[in-house]
Amino acid sequence: MTEPILEARGLTKFFPTKRGTVRAVDAIDFQMAPGDTLGLVGESGSGKTTTAQCVVGIYAPTTGDILFHGQSIGATAAKRGKDLKREIRIVFQDPGSSLNPKRTIKQILATPLAVHRMASGREQLARIGALLERVELPPAEYLYKHPQSIGGGEKQMVAIARALATDPSFVVLDEPTSALDVSVQAKIINLLLGLQKEMGLTYLFITHDMSLMRNVASRVAIMYLGKLSEIANTADFFQTPLHPYTKMLLSSIPVVSDEEESLKPAKGISRGEIPSPVNIPPGCSFHSRCPSRLDVCDKIDPGTVEVAPGHVVRCHLYPSQREASA
Amino acid sequence: MQDSTKANLLAAWRQRKRNLAHGWYKFSRNPLSVIGLVVLVLIVLVAIFAPYIAPYPGHAKAYTNFREASQAPSAQHFFGTDRIGRDIFSRILFGYRFSLLIGVVVLGLGVAPGVILGLIAGYRRGTWVEVVIMRVTDVFLAVPPLVLALAITAMLTPNLINQMMAIALVWWPWYSRLVFSLASSLRNEYFVKEAELTGASQAHILFREILPNCFAPIMTKMTLDMGLVILIESTLSFVGLGVQPPKPALGTMVAEGAKRLPAEWWSTIFPALAIVIVILAFNLIGDGLRDVFAVEDV
Amino acid sequence: MPNSLSLLEIRDLHVGFRIFEGHLRVLTGVTLAVHEGERVGLVGETGCGKTTTVKSVLRVLPIPPARVTGGEILYRGRDILRMHRHALHVLRREELTAIFQDPLQSLNPVFTVGSQLRDIVRDSMRTPEGKSLSRREIEARCIQALEETGMPDPERIMSNYPIQLSGGMRQRVCIAEALSTTARLLLADEPTTNLDVTIQDQILRKLDRLVDQKGSSVLMITHSMGVVRDLTQRIYIMYAGSIVETGPTRQLLASPKHPYTQGLMASVPRLTGRGVSEGIPGRIPNYLAPPSGCRFHPRCPHRMPECSVEVPPMFDVGADQRAACYLYRRSPS
Repeated sequence: MTEPILEARGLTKFFPTKRGTVRAVDAIDFQMAPGDTLGLVGESGSGKTTTAQCVVGIYAPTTGDILFHGQSIGATAAKRGKDLKREIRIVFQDPGSSLNPKRTIKQILATPLAVHRMASGREQLARIGALLERVELPPAEYLYKHPQSIGGGEKQMVAIARALATDPSFVVLDEPTSALDVSVQAKIINLLLGLQKEMGLTYLFITHDMSLMRNVASRVAIMYLGKLSEIANTADFFQTPLHPYTKMLLSSIPVVSDEEESLKPAKGISRGEIPSPVNIPPGCSFHSRCPSRLDVCDKIDPGTVEVAPGHVVRCHLYPSQREASA
Repeated sequence: MQDSTKANLLAAWRQRKRNLAHGWYKFSRNPLSVIGLVVLVLIVLVAIFAPYIAPYPGHAKAYTNFREASQAPSAQHFFGTDRIGRDIFSRILFGYRFSLLIGVVVLGLGVAPGVILGLIAGYRRGTWVEVVIMRVTDVFLAVPPLVLALAITAMLTPNLINQMMAIALVWWPWYSRLVFSLASSLRNEYFVKEAELTGASQAHILFREILPNCFAPIMTKMTLDMGLVILIESTLSFVGLGVQPPKPALGTMVAEGAKRLPAEWWSTIFPALAIVIVILAFNLIGDGLRDVFAVEDV
Repeated sequence: MPNSLSLLEIRDLHVGFRIFEGHLRVLTGVTLAVHEGERVGLVGETGCGKTTTVKSVLRVLPIPPARVTGGEILYRGRDILRMHRHALHVLRREELTAIFQDPLQSLNPVFTVGSQLRDIVRDSMRTPEGKSLSRREIEARCIQALEETGMPDPERIMSNYPIQLSGGMRQRVCIAEALSTTARLLLADEPTTNLDVTIQDQILRKLDRLVDQKGSSVLMITHSMGVVRDLTQRIYIMYAGSIVETGPTRQLLASPKHPYTQGLMASVPRLTGRGVSEGIPGRIPNYLAPPSGCRFHPRCPHRMPECSVEVPPMFDVGADQRAACYLYRRSPS
């Protein structure tokens, strides 16, 4: 690929707690090309949210690095330069808590503009108006409202407007529509895709909704207990899933038509509970639930293998050259 | 652009009006709180216009008239006279001036530093900043407020200003602690994280993001505290460490009258009732405010 | 096979809320039925009134500010809304049971799972002779109930507190509680919305099997079309306080007739990857001043003049499927 806009190299984040170390993110690698939408999928404890938080600067990596345009950015936002804070932005999952309930929408949108000294006074008001119009919220109606008097979908649109206020190039979307109804979700997804084309944005899109991912992402990465188990182009991912966890996940999705039903891998193979990230099973962390478990799976952690161009998987069913010849 | 700015400001003003009307609706559902508010308004008016309403305004200053001394309540003297002939009713009206003034000044002096320290300590929880601020707060809180106020006033000359400073010094730690616990939980909210990620300054985060979410508990507490401040002022005056005679502080009046109970009951009972009524009014309003700020789910 | 005897019948239910700004007319003539042994879904988006409907059935609406302004809710012919307290109490204990979205709210945090489950089993289970069960029998029944929900290591779970368990396990406890009663009607309000998708899949399949075994009827409330398709035989689509379409589940989802349902189905992202639709323009109505006539008409692509005049009744649109839309006026129901 041409120079990747974002790259994670051995990105690791551990949290020491009283009950043991939470291995939230464990040595993951991925690359994103400009204009890409990388979908990051996983269930609770997968580490997808922590990964997003490291990219955006809520946490600094424990080890490993994140590179933006080739420059290392593995640090908290406080230590990052202003430019970076302008370029990389985030939209959070819960619009109810990502907008300050005691401030008006105008004040909320003015903050990034003021912090980055992008506009003030009348020009600021004009820019805020333009931002609102871009997310299809009429300024006259919304400028002076408080978040609690508008619906969830509209709140999320304000959050998107806020993220775009600084003219960023990279936006992290952490489950942006999970808390919303499906008809509102459709509107917002359309908005996001339109804005991406218009502004040349790159998206790191986190969600647990695989059907949504199918229609939004250009590449999909799936995480389980802090490790990346499979990553591929969207079409490959859904047509030829390789990892047993991927297959388990895909078979569990509730779909709405027979046609989709036939696209799912064998039905009814999901089993077992997700272990706590403090007590990760030895060897491959998925072995306790895996229907295709081999003897080696509870002893040795599998390495990553590129099975097809752009399609990487971590599983003993697909041993690397080294392992195969051992 | 001019038209739309005007339209926007109009919309903002309308929205604010609507919010106030909603607030009043919630407040007025408590009949007692409304009564408290009415009583307080009356007291404030009376205090402001005391020189015009009081039948004997001169009695609030140095005045003696032994012929009129120690008279029971009558048509000329609604609440009777004290032992040197001053009309108690008039003195109570002027006494309210001191009580309200002290309440406002003490809270004004004490709340602001308390809030600021609480914000800083709460936001920097887990660092040495928090430790220093909160331990100092704890030290002040460990001493019972009345004792501390007494000690401070006793060290200084007893007069109005020193009394106010003493009580303010006693008061700030309560706000520090209140705001500390609010701020330390608010700093984990996503809108605060967002401000940090954007690169907003500390001052912005403390005063524009966190503080507005603390107003409600602070205001409720301030209202309830007014009553308590007045009570402490009265106590200080009662023991002679506050406003000095001949100034008509309610507590001083209660003290002077107490010596001659039960015979000249009017010189103690009426000032005492005056204290009770103003404190009660504040408490009722505070209760009503709590309901106004409570979040509803419908 | 579902019996044609209806277990639960809601007829023309009207519920309003009095708030500061005025009177919210939330439910306007909700009519639905659940027959013996049937699984029925009630689907709608946020604010459509489905939770209000369920709360009305259980009679746990906060009565001021809420008010039932019309209609009846019949359980085996008896109107729940007009029952006396004692009869209502018996009904809730012996006939109805519910599972809610957030198990942390349904489970008492200061009692162990075992103690809560035992209470329920003790109250509702009797021996064939009608006597109450012994302690050992109660314990065995509790363990069995937990096992049936797919709970790993039920004996240990019995002595755990709710916060020690994961979301999925807590919900399994709630299901075990709900199905340990003699209840014939299970009301499930978004029971798996907060759970991971693999756990949701397991739990729903277990629920499916258990309900089948017991022969209970289910009214499942959800906003997930996929969940309702797997679990129910018949669904009602709700919008802004009334039912807009109803019919056999798979048939309705494959061929929705009401414009709202069509908009909804178009918005659901598909595994086939055909892209995401534009959603439905507009917002849900303001219940203080709702649109006249059909409440959906301001957002409807097929809007006609008569739509703003009067609320359309249900019209037949296919085998057992009905939609409240003037587009289908030719065949009255």
